[in-house]
Amino acid sequence: MSGDLGIWLAAFLTLAIYSFLYRDNPVYRFAESLLIGVSVGFLLVVAFDTTILPKALEPIAAQIRYVSSNGASGIPMLIWVIIPVVLGLFMFARFVPGWAWLSRIALALYIGFGAGVSIPANMQSYILKQIEGTIRPFLEIHSAWDIFSALFILVGLIAVIGYFFFSKAHTGNFGRLARLGTWFLMVFFGATFGYTVMARISLLIGRLQFLLGDWLGLIS
Amino acid sequence: MNIWQRLRNLDRRIIFILMALGVGLPLLKNIGLPVRVTHDVSSVFNYIDKLNEGDALLLSYDHDTGTLPEMVPMSTAILRHAFSKNLRLIGMALRAEGSAIGRQAFRRVGKEFNKEEGVDYVFLGYRPEITATILGMGTSIERVFPKDDRGVLVGDIPLMQTVHNYGDIAFAISVSDDDTPVYWINYGNARYQLKFAPAVTAVMATTFFPFLNSGQIVGMVAGLKGAAEYERLIGRKEMASRGMDAQSIAHLVVIGFILVGNLAYFATRKRNQP
Repeated sequence: MSGDLGIWLAAFLTLAIYSFLYRDNPVYRFAESLLIGVSVGFLLVVAFDTTILPKALEPIAAQIRYVSSNGASGIPMLIWVIIPVVLGLFMFARFVPGWAWLSRIALALYIGFGAGVSIPANMQSYILKQIEGTIRPFLEIHSAWDIFSALFILVGLIAVIGYFFFSKAHTGNFGRLARLGTWFLMVFFGATFGYTVMARISLLIGRLQFLLGDWLGLIS
Repeated sequence: MNIWQRLRNLDRRIIFILMALGVGLPLLKNIGLPVRVTHDVSSVFNYIDKLNEGDALLLSYDHDTGTLPEMVPMSTAILRHAFSKNLRLIGMALRAEGSAIGRQAFRRVGKEFNKEEGVDYVFLGYRPEITATILGMGTSIERVFPKDDRGVLVGDIPLMQTVHNYGDIAFAISVSDDDTPVYWINYGNARYQLKFAPAVTAVMATTFFPFLNSGQIVGMVAGLKGAAEYERLIGRKEMASRGMDAQSIAHLVVIGFILVGNLAYFATRKRNQP
């Protein structure tokens, strides 16, 4: 059994969280609140240390020092450093009813940047490359299995797109295609669910490895 | 109340106990069930294996602490492989908690291989705003990370003298529990042709299969099983490999419950019908 106080504390918190499986209780709620508090506190400290300090406060302080020792020649650079910080502060204007409109300026810039950058990138990754990935297997056929595999992906793609095409009633041949699309979707959901079960069990394995190994010393 | 009705009304806590036993007993008594290496994982292994000594490998810790049991074994196995190949390793994080986990992993595994921080590996720390970070690193890593997580100026770090942007990085891996690798694919791979692979939780695996098919990613390490496969490839069976015995037995328990649950449902439904 471990003699490390930290491991005992971690073991207690693990068991406190798992106690919810029996029923909700104050020990569980304490551990849950502690987790949330520590996570948020950690995020705040890291964000301040790695972003606010080196990206905002330090550059402004450096430019102010430069202006005070070298005069007005440093002012354009100081303004250049201050503008993004001021735009960032505008985001907090939402909390002041009279000044809330200021946040729209920062948001507009952020959304404009986001859309401008992500639309072409998504078009490339999710549409053009995926179309290429559907067609290319037909150019690399070496066996009967390759033909089957390429056709299977193509049929799956068309059937699923058919299912999500709502401008035509899902009847007749088109209805059969859409129904085939649902079968492909079911396989996808089944695979996703299987992977999800595996992931959740992995988390339990990790905790039991800790409890049985690091804490109780039962695993060599 | 017959047995089927009892099973339909089984206390969920009995299921929890059986599941805990299904996971716990194989951990105590090693069974050694075989783990088959899949093409997705061997592709990542082979790509790293073929890199030349001194090539730069970027490992981004894009996950929180909640998924440590899946993430740590896979990142440890990849780090061991990379250090054994004498690659230069650059670590970073796009999640705040990932920075603490990554820093610890780099130093722990680096110590195993007698690697020196700043010369053989460097951990740059955390940056928020995923898109801007990934895009910015394509132009200049130093501009995005002026200092590493020790506070040393990146310009003064020997390893970083020849690593300026993605053009100097041979391969990148995102160890992630969400869709952050999609950003790496969108901005790192599509825009800068960065060779990339995700190492993700099992939950996220199906998200990345289309990218495997289209050749946008080199391969994929998914979940504890992916980590166990990687451990087998580097010839060092540890946490993940041992966990796979428990994983297999737990899956049998789940399948057993699904079968029993369905049998109980159909048996009692028949009885209830007029």
